[in-house]
Amino acid sequence: MDILNNIESSVGNKHLLLYIMWDLADDVSLVIVVVDVNPYFWVEKANASTGTSDIDFEQFLQHVLAFMNAILLLNHMNYLAVIATGSDSCSFLYESLAGESVSDGEGKPPSKRMNKHHTPSAKIVRGLKDFVSKELAFKTERKDNGKRYSLLSGSLSMALCYVQRILRQDPPHPHPRILCFQGSPDASQQYIAVMNAIFSAQRLMVPIDSCMVGSQHSAFLQQAAHITGGIYMKPPHPEGLFEYLMMVFATDLHSRRFLQLPRPTGVDFRASCFCHKKTIDTGFVCSVCLSIFCKHHKECSTCGASFSQNKSSFVTGQKRKLSTN
Amino acid sequence: MPRLRVVSRATFMDMVASLPASKLDRLYDSHWTCQAILRSLTPLAKQYVMRMLYIDAPIPNKSLQEWVLPDATVKHKVAIDKLEQLRILVDVSERKKEVTYRLNPKLQNQLRSVLKSGGGIPRDPMPSSIVARLPTATELENYAIQQWELVILQLVNSASGEGPTAPLNKFIQHIFQKAGLLTSRENETTSRITEAGFQFLLLERSSQLWQIIREYVSAAEERGLDNGELIGFLLELGFHIVGEPYNMNTLTGMQQKAVEELAILGLARVQQGMKDRWFIPTKLAASLSTNLSESSSWQPTEGFVVVETNFRVYGYTSSKLQTETLRLFVRLEYQLPNLVVGSLTKESINSAFASGINAEQIISFLQKHAHPHVAPKVPTVPETVSDQIRLWETDRNRLQLLPAYVYEDFPSMDIFQAVVAYARDIQGLLWEDASTRRVVVRGELHEDVRSFLHRQNTASSQRK
Repeated sequence: MDILNNIESSVGNKHLLLYIMWDLADDVSLVIVVVDVNPYFWVEKANASTGTSDIDFEQFLQHVLAFMNAILLLNHMNYLAVIATGSDSCSFLYESLAGESVSDGEGKPPSKRMNKHHTPSAKIVRGLKDFVSKELAFKTERKDNGKRYSLLSGSLSMALCYVQRILRQDPPHPHPRILCFQGSPDASQQYIAVMNAIFSAQRLMVPIDSCMVGSQHSAFLQQAAHITGGIYMKPPHPEGLFEYLMMVFATDLHSRRFLQLPRPTGVDFRASCFCHKKTIDTGFVCSVCLSIFCKHHKECSTCGASFSQNKSSFVTGQKRKLSTN
Repeated sequence: MPRLRVVSRATFMDMVASLPASKLDRLYDSHWTCQAILRSLTPLAKQYVMRMLYIDAPIPNKSLQEWVLPDATVKHKVAIDKLEQLRILVDVSERKKEVTYRLNPKLQNQLRSVLKSGGGIPRDPMPSSIVARLPTATELENYAIQQWELVILQLVNSASGEGPTAPLNKFIQHIFQKAGLLTSRENETTSRITEAGFQFLLLERSSQLWQIIREYVSAAEERGLDNGELIGFLLELGFHIVGEPYNMNTLTGMQQKAVEELAILGLARVQQGMKDRWFIPTKLAASLSTNLSESSSWQPTEGFVVVETNFRVYGYTSSKLQTETLRLFVRLEYQLPNLVVGSLTKESINSAFASGINAEQIISFLQKHAHPHVAPKVPTVPETVSDQIRLWETDRNRLQLLPAYVYEDFPSMDIFQAVVAYARDIQGLLWEDASTRRVVVRGELHEDVRSFLHRQNTASSQRK
């Protein structure tokens, strides 16, 4: 009930209607898994980890692969797509539809047949290796380092495009949802892009679930779960990741209406300013287009509205609080 | 008819559930059947299995109940009951006080290994170098549909009274008879189609398939085959890749026999090479495992019928079966290579009623098989037509036959009126006529009326 209430209050009745419609439908799902494979994060995590309660990348991957097998096991028609998020790029590692109609029209029969014999896990691992080597080449080319962030906005956009593609095929459609495994901290530069992705997910009625594997919370993904009606969780014992995945994230949208699931403990609603991409508590909001700035500007950089206030009124308005909810 | 369809689909799993415990446990020896059975469960039940998969300790029922929201306890009970029926959940409570469950250890191990290995396919297809020539996907699909239609046509042919065009296959005839679709009289050489048979013709293909398969499995028992093993194989068949050749030698003797028989139904195609024989599963086989779950929305049916408000029916089909099915209730007027045109007349509909089909079945057949161009319209079948079909049906049912008793020669008007009043009170009065003093009362209430009359008689004699 909690989820239903949550959704009803946050996004209005349209969702509720959809949930009711699902009562007639079934649990066929399209799960798009977004995995953070940013090497900076994982190396740092490996160096920092001291106790036994933490997991390294290899263990993490094993848990996630088993979880993906579970998704495919649950329903014959379940679709799975995996997107890797690096620090500079993101790409599809695997889609369970491939080999059928979607991606390759005229694959060579022998190779296609051989391809079928590989298990999803093998394909994902191979895709991951390709991805990492590609990203490495990209990095040495670009030669900028010290970036610790992952390209979350890119992966979310790719995931949503994929959902669009599936939804434009002939019905019946699976019920899509996105699951993010995120470790790296939020990149405030991506604030606008991520929020746009979240709002399009809301429009498409795609819940964004998040499982945090890093040490800190992500304000982006908390908001994403809150707005789209997904589940946000940071497992207290990361070494038992798989059990969390099975208990919480394997739940299809149909069953979520009947099961007790973790409730949100609190959402960090802070925004980033549009001018310096800093996360701010208080700021200035353009009265025309609602752009957010950390400093007072004469003119809005987004819509061009001019703030022709005199100095005195500006001082009183300076401490206007941003919506902190 | 929608009710019928759900029943026919659900009962296959019921049949699995009704297997004796030892056979059921043997089913869980193969991880293919474990997967197929897991997928056939309701979403909530699936979630329970997944959640309990890595829990080795017994779980008290109380903890299970805590998983669901308070409103969903009914769904919870249904899920737990189903799981227990299929022996997926085993009751291991030691004392009577608290019910504790654990997952069937066999199933648990099998599913765990699936999670580790990630499924795969039951057996490797044969390399293309050995196999001579494989049918293309469309060829295979046509083959499957053709075989299936041949089977159903045998039923239709016995309906039209003509002798079967092809010699009626004994095996299929037996199944039809077992399912009660054909009469099975010893002395008759040709068996006739029954009412259930006519209704069967109007069902969707997936429901037809399930009904046949169900009878097939229960018939297997009589022929001395292990039905547990057969069910296991049928469930496994759905995991094979459609259109790939699989060597027959990898099957057990019983399975080989089953494949050959299933080939008659169009579920697989058996080919003979230089040395080996192989079978190629068709779409029908794959749909077998898809349709296990009750998610009916995942069954697209290809429509071909257009019904117009002037009672004309256009069927865009060249299939003999579909033409024959239409002929059950449509007066066919002419036939073009890809089109049959007919009209719904009172006579044609009445002849359908006479063979045991009802109006709802006809209408829902027309709706379900509506041509894609008219399918999005609401209603798909014009209201004038559907209403008229229903009216024709009520026409037939104008007379109602009820067993009844006639009472006459009442000694006095008072007694007559008392009986009428009494009969009306107990809602048994069918007809009364005061001038001739006659009453007709429902047959089942005769005893009541008689004792009432006795009481009246004794009362009046006492008064005298």
